[in-house]
Amino acid sequence: MDLGDTLEPALPLGVLQSAQRGVWRLMSSQRSRDNAEWISALTSTGQAQEAALADLREILVSGLRRGLAAWLEPHSPQLVSLAEETTQEALVRILAKLDTFEGRSRFTTWAYKVAIRIALTELRRKQWQDVSLDGMLEPGREEGREASVLDPQAGPEATVEQRDMLALVGRILQEELTERQLAMMQAVALRGVPMEALAQKLGIERNALYKMMHDARLKLKRRLAREGLELGDVTATFEGSNTSGGRVVKGERT
Amino acid sequence: MTSWLDRLRIWLSGSRRAPIAVSPSSLAILGRQIATTQEVEYACDDVYRLLDQFAEAVSRGDDTAPWMPLIRAHLDRCPDCRAEFEALMQALRSPES
Repeated sequence: MDLGDTLEPALPLGVLQSAQRGVWRLMSSQRSRDNAEWISALTSTGQAQEAALADLREILVSGLRRGLAAWLEPHSPQLVSLAEETTQEALVRILAKLDTFEGRSRFTTWAYKVAIRIALTELRRKQWQDVSLDGMLEPGREEGREASVLDPQAGPEATVEQRDMLALVGRILQEELTERQLAMMQAVALRGVPMEALAQKLGIERNALYKMMHDARLKLKRRLAREGLELGDVTATFEGSNTSGGRVVKGERT
Repeated sequence: MTSWLDRLRIWLSGSRRAPIAVSPSSLAILGRQIATTQEVEYACDDVYRLLDQFAEAVSRGDDTAPWMPLIRAHLDRCPDCRAEFEALMQALRSPES
């Protein structure tokens, strides 16, 4: 672990750093440490370690309250509770994985990352725990109402060009993917089902799910290319179409 | 020279299989995702390992395009990782800002 290879040197307490695009200020903590000091204190014992843990705990709770404000109402009991619980778990994980800190960022930034992963995993688990795998993959009502690809009575707003393209892409999807693979892609890309939640139901890691979906997309792209379609042909056909895919639908503030 | 649309129509007329019934808006979104797929993409673990470094670079206003294009592309495509990145950016802001 190269602790000296940080992106910038440690800053004295209260120093502000600004960037030309927007202003971002560094956290000023009651006890500012550089990366080496954090690692040294956390790997020590006794008072030094306790002081470092206390400071880190305060930093993480404060950071999580800011970081999770898009998911939970600020100052709500749920947010306060989640921040506290997550911080406890994060401290344990951070201590266990100190040797994985590469020193390429500030230690506190790395610690925030660990805590945020824990917090959002827990949020997603709670939001989707009562939804079955089939429930996640079920098409939404809006998708069912829209005209089917080969419906000769398709809405007048669909141009001939768009309908032909839709038919082609639909045929390629059918021939190259299983029904389940397509349902997974739709669930994630269109209905905002978190990959984490879907992966949990499938009993695999999120990383593995992403790789499976990448393989599927690549297969489809190569098929499109074999059919003589260029990237610009496909995307230009649907310019002005609905672009809201991927928006989280169960992430509103509670 | 046969246009791509003509090739499309010729191909469609020769097929006897009924294509999958997917809504037009769904195909529009999926079509864009498919068309922009890269041979090499960072997966979630790759991005997670570099997320702290990347977030600090963004917060400083660095031009991240030249040296972390794979991270940007993944964040554009993966809502889970994008959510973690956005939360991290918020966490990096001081209470005073």
